[in-house]
Amino acid sequence: MSQTKRSEVKKERRSFLNTLLKTGLVAWVASVIYPVARFLIPPKMAKLNVSSIEVGLISDFPKSSSKIVRFGRKPIIVIRKESGDFKALEATCTHLDCNVQFKSETEQIWCACHNGLYDIEGKNISGPPPKPLAQFKVDIAREKIIVSQMDLS
Amino acid sequence: MKIYEWINERVDISSIKKIALKKRVPIFYGTIWYYLGGVSLFLFMIQVFTGILLVLYYQPGAETAYESVKFIISRVEFGWLIREVHSWSANLFILFVFFHMFTVFFAKAYRKPREMTWISGMILLLLSLGFGFSGYLLPWNELAYFATKVGSDIAGAIPIIGDFALRLLRSGDEVSGATLTRFYGIHTALLPGIFTVMLGLHLILVQVQGMSVPPEIEKIPEKERKSIPFFPDFALQDAMAWLIVLNIIALLAVFFPWELGPKADPLASAPAGIRPEWYFMFMFQTLKYIPAHVLFIEGELFGILLFSIGGFIWFMVPFLDKKAHEGIRTPFWTWFGILLIIYMIVFTAWGYLT
Amino acid sequence: MIKRSYWLLIGLLFSFSTLIADSTLKKDACVSCHIEVDEENDDEDKIVSYYKSDLHVKLGFSCADCHGGDPEAYDDEDEAMWENDTFIGVIEKEEQLEVCGKCHSNPVFMRQYSTDIKVDQVTQYLTSGHGIALENGNENVAVCSSCHGVHGILPVDDPRAPVYAKNIPKTCSKCHSDETVMFESGLPTNQFTEYEMSVHGMALLDRGDIGAPACNDCHGNHGASPPYVSNVDQICGTCHSNNKDLFQKSHLNDIFLSKGLGQCEACHGNHDIAKPTDEFLNWADESTCKPCHEDSHPAKALALSFYQTIDSLKTGLEHARKMVEKAEHKGMIVSNLLFDLDDAKKALIHTRTNIHSFNKAFVDTGAAPGFQSIQAAIIGAKESLEEVEYRKKGLFIFSLIITFFVIAIGFKINEWKKQRESASN
Repeated sequence: MSQTKRSEVKKERRSFLNTLLKTGLVAWVASVIYPVARFLIPPKMAKLNVSSIEVGLISDFPKSSSKIVRFGRKPIIVIRKESGDFKALEATCTHLDCNVQFKSETEQIWCACHNGLYDIEGKNISGPPPKPLAQFKVDIAREKIIVSQMDLS
Repeated sequence: MKIYEWINERVDISSIKKIALKKRVPIFYGTIWYYLGGVSLFLFMIQVFTGILLVLYYQPGAETAYESVKFIISRVEFGWLIREVHSWSANLFILFVFFHMFTVFFAKAYRKPREMTWISGMILLLLSLGFGFSGYLLPWNELAYFATKVGSDIAGAIPIIGDFALRLLRSGDEVSGATLTRFYGIHTALLPGIFTVMLGLHLILVQVQGMSVPPEIEKIPEKERKSIPFFPDFALQDAMAWLIVLNIIALLAVFFPWELGPKADPLASAPAGIRPEWYFMFMFQTLKYIPAHVLFIEGELFGILLFSIGGFIWFMVPFLDKKAHEGIRTPFWTWFGILLIIYMIVFTAWGYLT
Repeated sequence: MIKRSYWLLIGLLFSFSTLIADSTLKKDACVSCHIEVDEENDDEDKIVSYYKSDLHVKLGFSCADCHGGDPEAYDDEDEAMWENDTFIGVIEKEEQLEVCGKCHSNPVFMRQYSTDIKVDQVTQYLTSGHGIALENGNENVAVCSSCHGVHGILPVDDPRAPVYAKNIPKTCSKCHSDETVMFESGLPTNQFTEYEMSVHGMALLDRGDIGAPACNDCHGNHGASPPYVSNVDQICGTCHSNNKDLFQKSHLNDIFLSKGLGQCEACHGNHDIAKPTDEFLNWADESTCKPCHEDSHPAKALALSFYQTIDSLKTGLEHARKMVEKAEHKGMIVSNLLFDLDDAKKALIHTRTNIHSFNKAFVDTGAAPGFQSIQAAIIGAKESLEEVEYRKKGLFIFSLIITFFVIAIGFKINEWKKQRESASN
């Protein structure tokens, strides 16, 4: 009887299966391409701040002033001395974990927590701090102040 | 079809098509083993693909490597996914390559005429381990740094050329930024180049020689053996396996992300529990428990000697196991394989439990 | 006598050759003789073996420089000691100031060794509790040797020295924890036990933070005396300068002084200064305000408002930290949020200092950035956790697609198989 009908059903089923297969393929390809395409678009914050950071323009720093900025995970204190020179030191006191501050009248660095005192070179001179503050390198390029890690060597 | 004809008019690809269509996959209890090589190949393809994507953002160098990896996984959209897939797929790749190797070993598929396939496979294994070792350092995190330090120390224990090998590997006396640059080059240029050539050879050999069956199955007259065509049946089954593996990787990537850990600090003291990647664990553990002096040789050197001899024997199995060519299983080689697996599992577990 | 010295020299050369091998030891009759005496007496207190490590010996001084006598008189014991006018022998307590001061109070002499060396120790000592008692004829007090040791005196920066920062509490407690020594003066003997458990004691003795104060940092060294109520703030303020400044400017400063209360001590105690808890501010058992203030006094509202500010900073920080940790556990990168947590923690410490102003507006302004940092951390952590959910959703969709695709392929394979079978039939 239904030789023709049966083969028709079969044909129908086959074309349905092919559609399913094609849909599956397209969906899969799309699900792979989507994240990859998004990955290729560079993120807005495309710059890596790693070994050096820009802390602003010279004009942002009046003489005898300071600013605490983040350098990776560490806070650092950038100081402009009375002489106009720059100095950058780690801002976490070496005694406990407080942040130090710049005392412009004496050009010293002071930690309020236990009255620790460092000189402008970061050397501990009185109070509880057991060691000097770590040094950072300051370079000036086209009016911009760039702080970078000291070379280990 | 038009494209096919257009090409065929210029280059004869119909013969390739003929070979491909003629290829059949034997059906027996071990058919599932045939997936292992294919899955390894698929994982390698994922590695190439995700590796190329990672290179777009990765910056080698002691000052930038860690930060750029961090950047990839925290700032770049789906960067975490690409990195996780690369790490997970790398580990699964080694795992599947090991499975593949042992099934080939126990099926005695290395016997004549497939000696070259075994040798090329062994070279691919060594290259894969090289990929693992060099890639492990690239994120420049603490664990990788110290594992690399310990791992490359072993090179220094080789007699006569030890110091030279160590310096060559580290690009200096210590593991440093220079080492990282060197490993990056090895991982992304040197190894992929050699690997691709070797892989091509390996695949051509497999295609030309067809699928191997264990000696027991080979004894059955060909007409009584069941098989299915490679195209399209087995190829689609392969595709199913690949898709499932891909899904497992995605699952692992989301639920079990690899930790980046703290940045490597060459001046810091080594953290507790430095360990190499799991596939080096059995060797690491063996070297740890070899006494300082065995007979008159230094312990570390003895270990290296042991691994070299063992590796060489394993490499040369097709030439040493002569009985296999006649389709005979010798208990010696069966036990050799079983004991090797037991040794690897026990030492790896021991390494992780202590 | 001559004979004896010969034997002595021979004995020295053989049995004590190791001891005198040290080139810093000058050939000295006192040493050569006293080594033998020590040996003969089997004295536990082998003076000469300490002697080698003594700072003075290293600088070239000899026994005779303190004890007098003639170190050149090898042959005659009497000539070396008893018959020599300069000979003092054992230096009694009351003689120490003079013997040590001979050099240590002489700026010209001391300058040879260091340009900025202090020479006021004896003068200081005479003004100290110890010194005054000694003047009054009480010999039961500490003199130079009680703290610095006798033979084998080490410089103050030598960790083995009894006057090294970390060793000072033990050194003082030798007498001050001994009831028999303290009985006459009527002083308590529990200072060391109290100090040991105090925040300072734990920092110095357990953590080895030599920046933490030992006894001398509050009481002075050579001029040791108890600080008075009126100047206790200056002494604590040496390190706790912000707290001191804030308190001095507060309205409580004058009130405390007029009532004879030590500014810092009244709430924090002295030797047993514990790590201050926020409960000091709560109007409950541990309150340090309640002993003076009635419940009806506005102080209660002020204290409670401080308590609340600090408590909400603390609980907020804790909450934020937990959320950040949760995000971290799920594999998210949270280093930026850790910064916010750090900032919040600093604001909390700051606020705890600021309460010494006893000024609500001042405290609230100081605490504000802390709350901001807490908020920032919480928002960041929430975003991270949402990202985790997003990833899970993505994975779910991806898995669905793959499952669907795999099943479709499976059907296709099946279909081919059937097709082939029907074709072969």
